[in-house]
Amino acid sequence: MDEFNDNEITKLLRLKKYEQPPPGYFDNFLHEFHRRQRNELLRQPLWRICIDRTRDFVLSFNLGTLTSYPVAVTAVLMCAAILTLRIYQTPQPAAVASNDRPVLAVPANVEEEWTLASPVATRVFSTRSLRNMTESAQTHRKGTPPRYVLDSVPVSYETTFKF
Amino acid sequence: MDEARKDEDQRLVARTQEGDAGAFDDLVVKYTPRLYGLVYNMTSNHEDTNDLLQDIFAKAYKAIRGFRGKSSFYTWIHSIAVNMTLNFLKKRGRRYSLSLDDVDASIQNDKEFLEATASSSPVREADLSELQKRLNEAMMKLSDEHRAVVTMFHIQGMPHAEISKILNVSEGTVRSRLFYANRQLQNYLDEFRKNPVS
Repeated sequence: MDEFNDNEITKLLRLKKYEQPPPGYFDNFLHEFHRRQRNELLRQPLWRICIDRTRDFVLSFNLGTLTSYPVAVTAVLMCAAILTLRIYQTPQPAAVASNDRPVLAVPANVEEEWTLASPVATRVFSTRSLRNMTESAQTHRKGTPPRYVLDSVPVSYETTFKF
Repeated sequence: MDEARKDEDQRLVARTQEGDAGAFDDLVVKYTPRLYGLVYNMTSNHEDTNDLLQDIFAKAYKAIRGFRGKSSFYTWIHSIAVNMTLNFLKKRGRRYSLSLDDVDASIQNDKEFLEATASSSPVREADLSELQKRLNEAMMKLSDEHRAVVTMFHIQGMPHAEISKILNVSEGTVRSRLFYANRQLQNYLDEFRKNPVS
């Protein structure tokens, strides 16, 4: 009984290499390849073309030579980083002679206790407003002598005719 | 011969990487016939093969800057071709069209062809065109991966080691796929011989 063995199948399959495309196909293939590449290029957006051109331009240099200057590249990057930090760094308040002076413990109700007799060094400049609205509305504070407010009406030097 | 081919390919690849598009044209001209045979026997369709070949070379041109020569260009371009064709076949599904009209008419006058057909009794009994048609049908009944191995080994004459590099599988896998594919082809063609009109 005749059967296809491996050898015969191999021979049959080898015949398939004679299957060829239409005549002239290989001659035109390269032209077709170039045409398709051009069409694809024209379909690309402008930004993509710019990126590709830039990449090709950069890659056209021999990047291997640049690796001989790693120190220079690193130095430039570090300088740029330091300059950037110094520009954007917030200046710290100068602590002048902080070691020579005693640490001042300021009580919370320092405003009430502070008087003109207090030494200058004990004055504390708080960012909080010294008086709030209710305090401002009062004409005087508790425990302080009354404060007199002059009349805001200007003084008239005309003679009065009332007797 | 093989080393000379590698050296020439390396020179052309290096020139392409330096921006010489003409060098890549030389690679296209050199590899088009061989890759055509590979892709065509996996797809069995001329138009699909043409489109795929264009895409394969376009992809290779874009990727060639990253080619570091760990494998030969021959292996690299064949890997691209096989992988792209397998992806295409997965998307296409089982639809295929046999394009036997593309077969060169001079095949029946070819010496190797005549010797092959004369030495095999089942072949001698069968109509050659019909047999080729059945062979293509049998090929298309194989899975895509098995057909790729059969194409590279039987039709293109690649060694197992080269196929394993291209497919990135072991040589044992290549041999196993070949064995299984041969059995399937044999069964199908035997059935045809027993029932030639079916």
